[in-house]
Amino acid sequence: MAKNPYEVLGVRQGASIDEIKEAYRKLVKKYHPDQYKNNPLEDLAQEKLKEANEAYDYLTKNASSSSGFSGSKGGFSSGSTGSNYSGGFSGSYSGNNNAYSGSNSGGHSGNNSGGYSGNNSGSTTSGYTTQEGQQVRMHIQRGDLNGAEQLLNRFKMKNAEWYYLKGLIFMRRGWHDEAYTNLQNAVNMEPANYEYKQTLSQMNNSFRGFRNASYNRGYKQDPDWCSICGTLWCADSLCECFGGDLIGCC
Amino acid sequence: MPETAELKVREYDLFRGYYCGVCKAIGKNSSQLSRLTLNYDITFLALLLSSVAGERVRLERNNCFVHPLQKRNMVKQSECVSYAADMNVVLAYYNLKDNWKDEKDVKSLMFSSLLTKSFKKIHSRYKEKCDIISMKLEELSMLEKENCASMDKAAEPFAQLMEELMYYKPLCENNKSIERVLRSIGYFVGKWVYLIDAYDDIEKDIKAENYNPLLLQFEYGDEPVAEFKSRIVERLEFNLTYSLNEIGNAYKLIDNRNNEDIIENIIYLGMLRKTENILKGCTENGKKSI
Repeated sequence: MAKNPYEVLGVRQGASIDEIKEAYRKLVKKYHPDQYKNNPLEDLAQEKLKEANEAYDYLTKNASSSSGFSGSKGGFSSGSTGSNYSGGFSGSYSGNNNAYSGSNSGGHSGNNSGGYSGNNSGSTTSGYTTQEGQQVRMHIQRGDLNGAEQLLNRFKMKNAEWYYLKGLIFMRRGWHDEAYTNLQNAVNMEPANYEYKQTLSQMNNSFRGFRNASYNRGYKQDPDWCSICGTLWCADSLCECFGGDLIGCC
Repeated sequence: MPETAELKVREYDLFRGYYCGVCKAIGKNSSQLSRLTLNYDITFLALLLSSVAGERVRLERNNCFVHPLQKRNMVKQSECVSYAADMNVVLAYYNLKDNWKDEKDVKSLMFSSLLTKSFKKIHSRYKEKCDIISMKLEELSMLEKENCASMDKAAEPFAQLMEELMYYKPLCENNKSIERVLRSIGYFVGKWVYLIDAYDDIEKDIKAENYNPLLLQFEYGDEPVAEFKSRIVERLEFNLTYSLNEIGNAYKLIDNRNNEDIIENIIYLGMLRKTENILKGCTENGKKSI
């Protein structure tokens, strides 16, 4: 199904290449895999990203011809099937490329269930996955949370991996409080494991990310008198350090 | 409730229009009495479904039964508004039945018997949905009786109930993606509502010795209430904000985002404001959640 690439990117027909890049950049940020990691809607976000990539590829490849998208479905889809997310991205962001591909390898590793642990072992100190663990992960990936839980119950002991996998299952269920507690346990038991730490900090990032998104939409914190007084006091002390004074009496 | 300061006048009018539209539809489909139970959660439901469905709604100035002296703008000709109104009656009915069963509140019994006729009418139209709702409420009271000490577990039935309300058949029947997204929004709206109410009710529940999952999970002892609340406030903030984040992430995946500004205002500004106010201890009267 080929959609109109202008509509996908949300730009008008005949938009300039800069406008197209800007719109594409926004979409990549919006559907970034980091935000949907361990989210049951992960695949839908990936689809959105794929659409954006295809639209971007199409429009940048055809930038010179002013004809634009004329509804020729064949031409559109065949021209972009080989493209992928990272390809499209590096095309527009050569500067950020490094930082981005770092997070990408994490985000995409969930895609191919086989390569998950393999991908991981390269970058961690103790990131190996046991046979049973691998199976649990595959169930989670497929969305079969009950199956994953049953397998987990057969573990001989509750080691760091057990808590980690339990955390992942809770996350998929939307039980964030339990997820966080279990991930925290896993990290405490195996502090050197990069994957566990990464997943936990991902949760913290999502929490902060929402606030940032709100501030970007104009959210203003209600004035909190404690912090205002605190700031004033700090400013006063700072002034005094430099020989001045903001509040005369103290 | 949206953050009105950040809304355009036109957007605010439309939101009010949905609120009044649902209220009017309750009166039309059921009885005037059931209109007294409307809350903002149901308005959000109506607004979201109607926007995703791409309904072309009309705002019409009309007389208002609850505010007889003013004419109000209300949304007309919306199937989604009508659906939300029906669901509101169903919830109100079950709620009153519960109050009668648990607390032997006579007012609730009288009120619920007045609603019985409208409820039966709606029940015949949405039998399956009503059954699921009543099952979820059953599960909820089971968990209360068991003294469930996990906020995630305790919130589950209510979250699933809201999820079920978001399943609006004409939209979801042939579109699995939309169904998944709407269900996810419903789930986390329900979870957020449940948790924020639980935190808001802490004092009340301690006094009345009522069930509250937070008191059990965080082992409330003899400490002063304020101390208990400040001990758990960060944990609640994390979970409430996380739910809001999931609502936002799900909403972004919808193709047809009519009225995006109002809906995003509610999710990113209004619900966050409410979260902060409740966590700061500014208790709000009434239960008009969102």
